[in-house]
Amino acid sequence: MNDPEIDRLLDRGAHAKPEPDSALLDRVTGAIGSSLSPVRPLAPAWMLSAALVLWCAAMALAGGFILKPHGVQHMDSVQRLAIFPLLGLLISLGSAVAASQMVPGSRRVMAPSTLALCACLLLAAVFGAVFPDHRLERFVPEGLKCLTAGLAQAIPAAAGMWWILRRGFAVDSLAAGFAQGALAGLAGVAMLELHCPNFELLHILVWHIAVLPVAGLLGMAVARWRSARQSA
Amino acid sequence: MGPDSDLAELMANYQQGDSAAAAVLVRRLSPQLHRFFLMQYVSRTHADDLLQETWMRIHQARHTYRRSEPLLPWLYAIARHVRIDHYRKQHRTQSREERIDEGFDIAAASDAPGRTPDIESLLGALPESQREVLVMLKVSGMSLEEVARATSSSVGSVKQKAHRAYETLRKLYPAMAADAPKGEPA
Repeated sequence: MNDPEIDRLLDRGAHAKPEPDSALLDRVTGAIGSSLSPVRPLAPAWMLSAALVLWCAAMALAGGFILKPHGVQHMDSVQRLAIFPLLGLLISLGSAVAASQMVPGSRRVMAPSTLALCACLLLAAVFGAVFPDHRLERFVPEGLKCLTAGLAQAIPAAAGMWWILRRGFAVDSLAAGFAQGALAGLAGVAMLELHCPNFELLHILVWHIAVLPVAGLLGMAVARWRSARQSA
Repeated sequence: MGPDSDLAELMANYQQGDSAAAAVLVRRLSPQLHRFFLMQYVSRTHADDLLQETWMRIHQARHTYRRSEPLLPWLYAIARHVRIDHYRKQHRTQSREERIDEGFDIAAASDAPGRTPDIESLLGALPESQREVLVMLKVSGMSLEEVARATSSSVGSVKQKAHRAYETLRKLYPAMAADAPKGEPA
């Protein structure tokens, strides 16, 4: 059997299907009409993305300067040039992904999980290249401090993102929650790079980068909780 | 004015609170949405429920449609998630035994000798993601780009799924046609 024959079969099968009842359509029209009011269309995707980028940058800078920017002060210019433009790029990409998740039928930028994985790998590669200190001192206590600070930074970042995207409509609420959480996590990572003066490679690889996936998973958990509450 | 721009115009009027535009959209788009559900192993009753639920979500999300963007991917992105949610709910409520029985019935129906191969048995042989792409492309008449937007995937991935679906159907169909009783149309 060739492709046109398959097409014909599909077409014949589709047209043999019953049409929806007129009474059902009347019911739908009635339900829509009873709550119909004018709505303002959502802002364009680029505007939402730009707002998210600005918010993330503002949060990272504010957090970094409130906790004192010891990290960026101790970095050499190569480290600064390698880390901050990459974080800027990832935040821009993450913002575009998070915004597209809130508009049904948007052009796909990248799956949120792919973006998180690529971001972790890229950050690990760059950190590995610019931080040569392989010592391992107070690995867990120092690390937990950074992880907690990064996640604490992600909470207000995520709250602001929720406000920016509040008029959007997530068809896949879990993916949208993960995208927003991971983006908030990136703001947390950026704050840690500004603030944390601990340049031990393993500390940065494990505890700084961990903020991103952990924040993403927390975002997904919040989305799951919210959708369970809505459907209950 | 083409059908797409016509729909976009109606959608813009619907956003402005025009109930006549909403009614026309419901009449024009419901048959294809209903068909989309029916062609994916959903019963008539469930298809009616899904159609109603889709319109409620469309109504809730109507402000997220932008006139500069194509309407069908926006519409089908909502419809496919209504179906996915329905599928998940069904999976949660159905017992494991019932699902095994149902799977057996579908397989038995597809392979039964003397049965005319029909659209259900053909599409039933495809994985859900391939079936969905095929229905959007061939039954709803959407372009590759539109299907990619509606399914949140890339154009390459849509092409690959459609290619694999055709490959499976080409392999499957001669075997099924041979099983059909003589004289019946294949």
